[in-house]
Amino acid sequence: MAKEDAEARTKKEYVRTFIFSMKVGTPVEKLHVITKALMIVIMSIVALYMFDIPISKGGPDIAGLVFLLALVFVLLGLARSAKYLVTSYLLLALPVLFGEFFWWLFFDRALPGPTIPFYIWPGYFPIGISTVLFLVVFFGLYYRMRSVMWPLIAALILWFISITPAFLDVYPYTWVAIKTGGLFAFTLPSASVTVAFGKVLGYGVLIYTSFLFLLTTRDTEIAGALRQLKASFRAAFFAALMFRNLNIILIDYENIRTAQRARGAEVQRRNILARIVDLAYIAIPLVASMIKRSTEMGVALYARGFENAKKPVDYKETKGISYMDVIVIAIMVGFLVYTVILGHTIRALI
Amino acid sequence: MSNTETVKSAVAQDKYPWSKYTLGIGGGRKVTSTQYTLYIVQIAVIIILSYLSVVMLGPLSFSGISFFYFVYPFFMVFTEWWGLWGILAAYIGCVVGAGLMVGLGIVPSILYSVADLVPPLVMFIIYRGFLGKMGIDPLFRDLTDKQIGETKTHRGMAWVWFILINVVVLNLISAQLGIGIEYQLGLVPPSAYWYYWAGWFVGDAIAMIIITPIIVKGLTSLVERQGLVNTGWIT
Repeated sequence: MAKEDAEARTKKEYVRTFIFSMKVGTPVEKLHVITKALMIVIMSIVALYMFDIPISKGGPDIAGLVFLLALVFVLLGLARSAKYLVTSYLLLALPVLFGEFFWWLFFDRALPGPTIPFYIWPGYFPIGISTVLFLVVFFGLYYRMRSVMWPLIAALILWFISITPAFLDVYPYTWVAIKTGGLFAFTLPSASVTVAFGKVLGYGVLIYTSFLFLLTTRDTEIAGALRQLKASFRAAFFAALMFRNLNIILIDYENIRTAQRARGAEVQRRNILARIVDLAYIAIPLVASMIKRSTEMGVALYARGFENAKKPVDYKETKGISYMDVIVIAIMVGFLVYTVILGHTIRALI
Repeated sequence: MSNTETVKSAVAQDKYPWSKYTLGIGGGRKVTSTQYTLYIVQIAVIIILSYLSVVMLGPLSFSGISFFYFVYPFFMVFTEWWGLWGILAAYIGCVVGAGLMVGLGIVPSILYSVADLVPPLVMFIIYRGFLGKMGIDPLFRDLTDKQIGETKTHRGMAWVWFILINVVVLNLISAQLGIGIEYQLGLVPPSAYWYYWAGWFVGDAIAMIIITPIIVKGLTSLVERQGLVNTGWIT
């Protein structure tokens, strides 16, 4: 019976990960957790290096960052997690990446080199690619959301951004210019556009490598890996317990919030200070339930003889390092040496 | 040491109701399974609160920075309750909750989280090692209570030390470390350094001033009554 149970567990098609579930048997799922951790560490280091190359040395390695980002998406695709990511985090991340672009564009103005002009308002109302962009975004979002407000705001923001670069005020970008008056312009170092774009790509790599790890890693894998790294059973067990509790605490938080709403906590319009205090009041029952739960768990462990166990049953979710792990680690280390240590760029290869 | 001196020393040691909370290891007691699970679950709580602080109130969420980092007072109070485990929670919470889970990337998360490791560590040493002996409660109860047991508290002084150490000095170190590390990693634009710095400092300061008294009033007595407060670093 126990053998059948174990087989049923190992024959699952999907298994729960930190923030979703992943399909069993994909190339990414088969990788050892140490390989995955090493892979995302190296990709993070390389991304940080690539987007921080100074302008005097050629500026950010855009080609390298695009390659890294593509690699992350290929891995997410192989893990069959790309669809979930596209419908959740990708959309959430886009406005932030967009914001980062402008943040870097305007707050990195001491860069050397020539400057390029930008408009706050070009002095005319342009009809052209910007108009097409406005219509496509508005109707595209309207078709999906069936409301006017947010699609209109998103379309207006993108339209405004598309009319700011002064070099776009000629044909074929602008077809007709209806004069309105009131020209407002400013200049920025031309290198800041490249730097800002590099930063956005780098952020993209950091964000999606993090999600790659969280979407394709199980808490038990970490416990198993810790045991393989000769950590004590107790340390491995408590690491697994900590990660397993994350979901439970998030559910607790949602339940407490719902209960407070049911009691009318968010009925009245309140000032920002009152809302801040509300956050604290949500966290207090959360901590109280934490104490209750941990006491129950502690008693359960004690009742099962955990404190005196000399040879506890070890984790069976341990994997050996396969040839594929060795190949992936070798490629990643090679990539790290080529870029960060030897200082080469991917754009030099192209 | 004569008997009279021993008694005097014991009286001096128990001068305040909080005199048992020191910088010792924890009385040499073994960590029970209940304590272990409590320490582990509180780390998980800090991870979730760190994550929520950044995603709910962080316009620059993928930088791991929040304009109202409401987890800050939680891990400071947890450190005073659970010593080393609270400090561990602050660091792991920042790496996983305010770093990896919001998409900051593993290397920046591990490095910038030092900014959340230093303040609770220093605060624990100052409060338990020095201020506790000067009549300031290391569990912060004197911020809200006029009396702890039979002992009258110095609320004014408690607030002065609290603001000076936790809200100003340690928060300043935390902001400088956090933003400085992010700047060195190329995650903060040079001209926006002080905007980020101010966002970090103000966000943590407001959270500390508003939320700490609420947590202390709501939970410290409960935790202490159940015998769950560590007398030293470990237990």
